[in-house]
Amino acid sequence: MGIAVIGGGVAGISAALDLADSGYKVYLIEKNAELGGKMAELAECKTGLSPRIVKIQNHPNIELMLSSELEGLSGSAGNFKLKVSGGKEIEVESVVLAPGYDIPDSVATSYGYGSPDVVTSLEFERMLRAATISNELKRQSDGKPVKKIGFIKCVGSRCQDNEICSTACCAYTAKEVWVVKERFPDIDVYVFYMDVRVFGKDEELVADLKDNYGVHYIRSRVPEVLPEGDKLIVKYEDLRAGKIEKLELDMVVLAVGLLPARTLPRLAELTGVKTDEYGYIETSISSPMETSVRGIFACGTATAPMKVRESVGLASGAALKAALMSQRTERIPGQEERKYIEVKEDEPPKVGVFICDNEGEISKTIDIPALAERVKGLRDVVAVNSANTIEEALKALESGIVDQGLNRVVFAGCSPREYEDIIREGCAKAGLNPYLVELVNLREQCAWVFDKNVTDAAFDILRMAVERAKRLEPIIVERYPVVPRALVIGGGISGMNAALDIADAGYEVYLVEKGEELGGGLRDMGDIAFPGGESASKLLKHYVDRVTSHERIKVYTKAREEDVRGRAGMFKARIVGDGVDEEIEFGACVIATGAKEYVPEGYYGYGSDNKVCTLREFEKSGKVQGDTVVIIQDVGPGLKEGAYSSKASNIEAVNAALKIKEENPGVEVFVLYREVKTYGKWEVLYKRAREKGVLFLRYEKPPEYKNGIISVFDVIFNDEIQIKPDMVILSVPMVPAEDNKRLSMMFKIPLKRGFFMEEQERPKMVLTPVDTVNEGVFVCGSAVYPAMIDECIAMSSAAAGRACVLLAKDFMETPAIRAVVNDEVCVGCGVCVQICPVEAIELTEEQLPVVTFGVETLVGGERRIAKVGDGCIGCGSCASYCPSGAMSLQHFRDKQVYAQLDYA
Amino acid sequence: MIKTWELDPNFKYEILKEPGGEHLTACFQCSTCTLGCPLTEIIPTYNPRRMIQMSLLGMRNEVLSNPDLWVCLICQTCTARCPQDVQIADLLGAIRRIAEREEETGKLKISSVRPSFDKAFMHQIQKYGRLYDMGLAMEYYKVKEGSFIKGMMAMSKDYKKFGMRMFKKGKMGVKSMFPEKVKDREVMRKIFERMGAEKK
Amino acid sequence: MSNLKYAYFPGCPSESTAIDQDMSVKAVFERLGVELEEMEDWNCCGASEVEDPEIVYALNARNLAIAEKKGLNIMTPCSICYYNLQRSNKVLRENEELRKKIHSIDSSLTYNGGVEVKHVVDALVNDIGIEEISSKVQKKVNVKVAPYYGCYMGRPPLTAFDDPDAPILMDRLIEVIGGEVVPFDYRKAKCCGGPLMMTVPDIAFKMARDILEGAKNAGADCIVLACPLCGMMLDAKQEDIEEAFGIKIGLPVLYITQLLGLALGISPDKLGLNKNVVDTKAIVGRVV
Repeated sequence: MGIAVIGGGVAGISAALDLADSGYKVYLIEKNAELGGKMAELAECKTGLSPRIVKIQNHPNIELMLSSELEGLSGSAGNFKLKVSGGKEIEVESVVLAPGYDIPDSVATSYGYGSPDVVTSLEFERMLRAATISNELKRQSDGKPVKKIGFIKCVGSRCQDNEICSTACCAYTAKEVWVVKERFPDIDVYVFYMDVRVFGKDEELVADLKDNYGVHYIRSRVPEVLPEGDKLIVKYEDLRAGKIEKLELDMVVLAVGLLPARTLPRLAELTGVKTDEYGYIETSISSPMETSVRGIFACGTATAPMKVRESVGLASGAALKAALMSQRTERIPGQEERKYIEVKEDEPPKVGVFICDNEGEISKTIDIPALAERVKGLRDVVAVNSANTIEEALKALESGIVDQGLNRVVFAGCSPREYEDIIREGCAKAGLNPYLVELVNLREQCAWVFDKNVTDAAFDILRMAVERAKRLEPIIVERYPVVPRALVIGGGISGMNAALDIADAGYEVYLVEKGEELGGGLRDMGDIAFPGGESASKLLKHYVDRVTSHERIKVYTKAREEDVRGRAGMFKARIVGDGVDEEIEFGACVIATGAKEYVPEGYYGYGSDNKVCTLREFEKSGKVQGDTVVIIQDVGPGLKEGAYSSKASNIEAVNAALKIKEENPGVEVFVLYREVKTYGKWEVLYKRAREKGVLFLRYEKPPEYKNGIISVFDVIFNDEIQIKPDMVILSVPMVPAEDNKRLSMMFKIPLKRGFFMEEQERPKMVLTPVDTVNEGVFVCGSAVYPAMIDECIAMSSAAAGRACVLLAKDFMETPAIRAVVNDEVCVGCGVCVQICPVEAIELTEEQLPVVTFGVETLVGGERRIAKVGDGCIGCGSCASYCPSGAMSLQHFRDKQVYAQLDYA
Repeated sequence: MIKTWELDPNFKYEILKEPGGEHLTACFQCSTCTLGCPLTEIIPTYNPRRMIQMSLLGMRNEVLSNPDLWVCLICQTCTARCPQDVQIADLLGAIRRIAEREEETGKLKISSVRPSFDKAFMHQIQKYGRLYDMGLAMEYYKVKEGSFIKGMMAMSKDYKKFGMRMFKKGKMGVKSMFPEKVKDREVMRKIFERMGAEKK
Repeated sequence: MSNLKYAYFPGCPSESTAIDQDMSVKAVFERLGVELEEMEDWNCCGASEVEDPEIVYALNARNLAIAEKKGLNIMTPCSICYYNLQRSNKVLRENEELRKKIHSIDSSLTYNGGVEVKHVVDALVNDIGIEEISSKVQKKVNVKVAPYYGCYMGRPPLTAFDDPDAPILMDRLIEVIGGEVVPFDYRKAKCCGGPLMMTVPDIAFKMARDILEGAKNAGADCIVLACPLCGMMLDAKQEDIEEAFGIKIGLPVLYITQLLGLALGISPDKLGLNKNVVDTKAIVGRVV
């Protein structure tokens, strides 16, 4: 049977690929004629998504059903029957729902939407794309340049029609603003907000926009945009001056909120899954991908509004859960034996050049027929083909190798990031060693950058590529078996959940916890519960019981892993602890070290004043003192001091305020905050807390606590407010586990502010949120970023899912592009050892044969030569620094590079 | 500077209990009400958002004696736009009624004449079941000016031209000297007695 | 349209300050063949002066009960009456406890939720329909009109039947009788100041002046509206406003039913057009 994935947006695509890549049959059902969903509408995002789309279109395990909708579902987990439009029926064991989101049909007329200069953020995204090409941001009404632009946030979210926070808008607005300021620094930008709910790199971006780009962030929920002459007038409250200001703008962007997909109600009806009061598919905090129907899972914005990164995480998690209910029936691509046509060194090159127009994007500026004609004239070029889509180009390429006997290929199209794997795989299938291909980016590096003579430039680039291609050498990679076991580091909620998921999938797991007990941060949270969720103590017990009784999980407490070696699929390490020193082998590793509460020594008398405690301390004890409780948010180091604001601290503080007020209605509760960051459905917590009478006071300058009185300048109220608290609860940042530094060195994964977040910030990583630069090593939970418990669970399932994709393989291949040493020439100077960023090179000592009187007889002294280890990432640093020319990088040998330069 | 221990933390609950004031605590101080209020063009300092936060903080005296309480047009722009459904127009009405009760018990002096007008208006309904313009004007001006005579003089000054205008057009005449009455006036009296603010 | 019939709730100003509206409503509905049966012994809705919502609900429970007994839906030409009747209707339908409490006061206040409440503009556009009206139009209204909706057609959301900021229903009526709607954008639904007329007249005058000047600057020949209090501010008080600010406006102010009546071929006298304070002859003369 197989698994049905419904929805071909970014979440559906990711779930389908994870499943198909681990050998499951997947039916991907998409209502539109194309894959990509909302994300594909955003030009910049499409660039990242399209390699996956192309991969799906060419995946042997995926049956793609476009322009199709679910029309019926019967049966139960393990045996569902689905009716799909067009009369098709399929049988599957499990279903993943990924219908995505929609934006509201309309916005309040007071925003003046309908004026050509008032646009939604999605529309603006498209305008911005055009503007970056034309280098001018113009008003749509009269074509005049935009000088002042305003962004209004929370349009159609955090309101009566859509109670919850749409989560993504704060970050995407910041990104749009950044593009505006980068490209058009003279444009004045105003952002109107209620709370800036950004975390991690987005938090840094917003700080940067305010501090360095001169962007005006103004706290006012602007309710109307009034046209006056050719200007747009918005009013906002100047809180400090205590008056209303009018601002004339040239253009207004409405950051519209997210709503459940319009197809969702029908989908819920057909599948029987419950939806929540906001119309999203109902899941729980402790099972964020599980719907009310067994065997049906949900991911992405089907369950709550969220950003791409979280959507993809949930997708990997949902894929894993769906896989647990299904049988693997298909072969994993790339695992079959490959035989390549032998290409001898002296054999004359026969180069085929393939130009892909990328659906008309390249021919906008490049005359492709003329280009093809000129390329035909190049020496050794025997075939030139131009195609509209990558699929057509791929077919031409395969037949070119098989029918015309091409032995070198130049492939020109959009960014190779999108299609490199597919082209190499296509060559391999046709029998040509995949490293006899040269890839050219005609779009970003030519069509988009040159103003004139673009076709001439394209010809130059192709001529260089042909010269390089002629000198490429086949690279033979080695295969090694995958060890079907995983190492999970950290025994908190994320680690336990990842371990359980991997073990449930049938692999053995080593779970290593440095503390005495499993549980991590959950142990500090007492009986605290979030609405609709189990209490921390129950959750803890449930997880610890399951982990300790699982036959495939081996738990090590008071232990740590040392001496990690090897590569994805074949790692080795030692587990060292109390009476333990064990050598283990594993194919994949999940890092889930978590985070812990910062100790606010010296803040607000913490440690000496018995009225003062931290949030987790309060949660653990659950005791309320006296009649007046003050909760202070963001105590301790902030962004400028190296800490991130923590999702957990922000939301737990509001939750605690609500709990105190619910249980003690007579107690006055104040929350002093910088931003209330109750994103997504957590917004409801904030609302309930207010409704119960919790008072929220917004500060910019940290409050003071002297002589038993807290003084806070409320910037909205524009006055100092003094409170005599009986209890002060400090909400502090979550700081990374100390062990992260050691793990970072050992696994060669960079840290940022102590978290494994650097990884998450590489643009590519939005789509691989739990992967790292070190293939086979995954990160999740608060090790990455201080996250909420539901996100920890979702992301650890995602990490487990990604690990299982790898563990499902029989073998892996050594990387092709790596440094090699010519032993004859190496003088053992050690420069390469110094320069290697991943410490993959060492100097080995060999006995040196000495020639005396023409006879090689004596062994005298030692000779040192460099040796490249498994860790090489193919960066080429060593090759460029090697003074003797002994080091070279496969696929980038000097002769290949110089030949290319000679024709530049 | 505001010292919370000198304020009345129960004020917010008092408002929540008053019909119309039920949504006070939903407010998250976004400024929507203030920014859309047409009054701010005339009184730049007028700020319902701030009045709500004062109420939440428990600044009972400051809120109840605030003259801005009495200028709301009840145009419902704030209520229509409020993202948290605070129903500000009704909320301010609820606070006004608390203030009126405070005045009745002698704890507060309201500077605005609006309560007198509203009361005079209600008395017409209570008595006749319909609005009696003449009765309303006479009662209101009497209270406003302090005596019947002064009231009549002020009224005739204010309304001389207007009255003539209306008279000429046939919108006011002998008929308007006498009240229209519903037949069942007893029920009107009972409604005000049983549902009225005095009962709280 | 003979099947349509309403319980007519004229509202307190119908016999005095808004007698012209009352006349024109009756004449227009008669011409359209829609019967209006005036509610017997109706009482005041509470206007904007009765601020305790519970009293408003009780007052209107009586009105609603009167219509319910007749088995008719209510139509009222006054926006404030509409708001009070409709909000009472909605709240009473939802809130059983309140219904009981009100019922316990007097049996005449027993209302079971069986009545719909319609504002005259809502009734014209959505019950009778633009097409039906169009078929009965006899004359073309060659005037530029500033449609002024005031507060209670689009707000608050509980009772609204048009957009809160950009209402459109009267525009459609004006267009179907050949009038030209001038760009009046956000003033369409901005408050006229009426509720403060007696207590803070200077604020009320400033609000009304903004509407009047806005209409005039937009090139309107007249303002069209559907609320007696707005009519009072913009028409009856126009001279006072002119005097207070030393300006000249001289803009006729008509009830929508008056303008519509002209297009339907009803005589100006029957529509009360001699009772508007600012002279309407110029407008009447342009209806041919």
